[in-house]
Amino acid sequence: MSSVLLSVEKAEVVYKRAITAVQGISLSVRDGQIVALLGTNGAGKSTTLRAISGFLGLDDARVTEGAITFDGHRIENRPPHEIARRGVVLVPEREKVFQNLTVAENLAAPVPRAADKRRLEDQIYQFFPRLADLRGRVGGLLSGGERQMLAIASALMCRPRLLMIDELSLGLAPVVVQDLTRRLIMIRDQLGIAILLVEQSAAVALSISDYAYVMENGRIVLDGDRERLNSHQDVQEFYLGQSDGNGQDSTTARRSYRDVKQYRRSRRWYG
Amino acid sequence: MFRSTPRASGYYRTGYGQDLALIQTRTERISLAILVTLAIALPFIAGPFLLDLACQVFLASIGALSLMLLTGYAGQISLGHAGLIAAGAFTTGILAREIAAPFWITLPASALTGILLGLIFGLPSLRLRGLYLAVSTLALHFIVIYLGGEYETKRGFSTGILIDPPSLAGFKLTDGRAWYFVLLLAAAASLMICINLLRSSSGRAWRAVHARETVAEALGINVAGYKLLVFVISSSMTSVAGCLFAYYRGFVSIEAFDLFLSIQYVAMIIIGGMGSLLGALLGAAFVTLFPYLIESLLALLPNIQKFAGDIFAVNYTAFGVVMILFLVFEPLGLVGIWRRLQNYFLLWPFKYRPLTGARK
Repeated sequence: MSSVLLSVEKAEVVYKRAITAVQGISLSVRDGQIVALLGTNGAGKSTTLRAISGFLGLDDARVTEGAITFDGHRIENRPPHEIARRGVVLVPEREKVFQNLTVAENLAAPVPRAADKRRLEDQIYQFFPRLADLRGRVGGLLSGGERQMLAIASALMCRPRLLMIDELSLGLAPVVVQDLTRRLIMIRDQLGIAILLVEQSAAVALSISDYAYVMENGRIVLDGDRERLNSHQDVQEFYLGQSDGNGQDSTTARRSYRDVKQYRRSRRWYG
Repeated sequence: MFRSTPRASGYYRTGYGQDLALIQTRTERISLAILVTLAIALPFIAGPFLLDLACQVFLASIGALSLMLLTGYAGQISLGHAGLIAAGAFTTGILAREIAAPFWITLPASALTGILLGLIFGLPSLRLRGLYLAVSTLALHFIVIYLGGEYETKRGFSTGILIDPPSLAGFKLTDGRAWYFVLLLAAAASLMICINLLRSSSGRAWRAVHARETVAEALGINVAGYKLLVFVISSSMTSVAGCLFAYYRGFVSIEAFDLFLSIQYVAMIIIGGMGSLLGALLGAAFVTLFPYLIESLLALLPNIQKFAGDIFAVNYTAFGVVMILFLVFEPLGLVGIWRRLQNYFLLWPFKYRPLTGARK
């Protein structure tokens, strides 16, 4: 088994010194592993990513407890550029490319030396040949899928050891998402970097990840490898929209995972 | 300056080396040669008035280039550039006056003053943006002018400080033609510095910071560090322009550096075209020559002597109107017009560039 690259231990994130958004979550990513973070809106997935990448400061939030360790170094509450230089690079959810700069300039922005630029650029065009055609186009004129490609490519220009992608499939056509996931697996296999994905769509996440965590209300409620989650009844029912074969089909109103837990809890309490 | 405009057909870059080359096509080589020849020949053709105008344009170019670096590329607004020029000029004036410092001391001293001021007034940029930053840089202007005024009154130079012409390698710089070449060289050097800075990693980082700070930060760019860096570089360049200005005029006085000068510098980069070094040069030339143009136009009117006192008002008004017209009709500035012309001839007989996908 490969070594642990990133580990989050019992981390707690508090916004504006008042609101707890994430409480006592622990997760780990190993070298070359693709890990997914699943959950509905407001579950705390993005906050977790921000905590790892150091972007909490912008929203007046911080990691108040626990530890985030990357490759043996504590990185919680460090500035984002420092964390990125260590090798943890985030592809943000929205606003992910430089709109006024061309594709080539976007790619060049994070690279310190011109000599590295050529080599890295060539390497990246292998994964995303489409970008080579668009080299002179400004970022603002790219389509959603092209932007996502460019954002991932720019992140790769930083030579990350852990690539974090917030909402890979957001607003993209299923075909495009399929293509992207295929390329991500290629990138993982060839460059050996680990990937941490945040996803709403469980189907997408479980199709490429080796391991997944399910978040709910600021906590991790479920985790396991792909096979386990894929066959897990709750996940099937509430995230994959599959019925349990008792005559219910996916057209019936799907309840949230939280509702069900609530239901079970109340049944336990009130008998 | 070298953005991706359409090229003449048949010109495709085939390697990364071509991306890096400063001069890429034969047309560029030829036009550069013509420009250099003209610049060298000018002082031997033109009279002293025209030479003075050219010198003013060169001085303004250095300031405009440095402001373009700061505002047009790194996206940090500054209304303190007149203050920075004043700082350079006063450093030169005071040193020359008090300890009779030669040129090779006052010039680096001015640059150092600029670096210090840039560091101090770059700090607010880490927290402030847009208009708020503009106001904080405005403070720089007033502080420098205040200190300069204090010095003038305390030392009894109430009308200004007189400076002897500098001597370069034992040669006294008094001749207009000699000044022309010195300032031409200084402006060319500033342009080269700017071009190369922008091609370096710091140039890429500045544009990234301008485009989107969070993404830049996510990609490992030290946003705070690069903001300070651009302030420091821009300020020291402007201060050096101030030093040259002081020597060129032979006279330093706070009246020369009012707020209107700051506005003029901002006008230069807006009229010239944001985010383009060529724009900075065009803007500097335009804004410097504009008042003279208006004056000579007014001189054509009959009976103008009667209104001699109002010419400055007409000048200011015309300047304001031109600014507004540019903002409304040509936000890309003179360089936008230039690019459109280029595109028109490069794409002719077509009107638009075809879809990129169709090319391959």
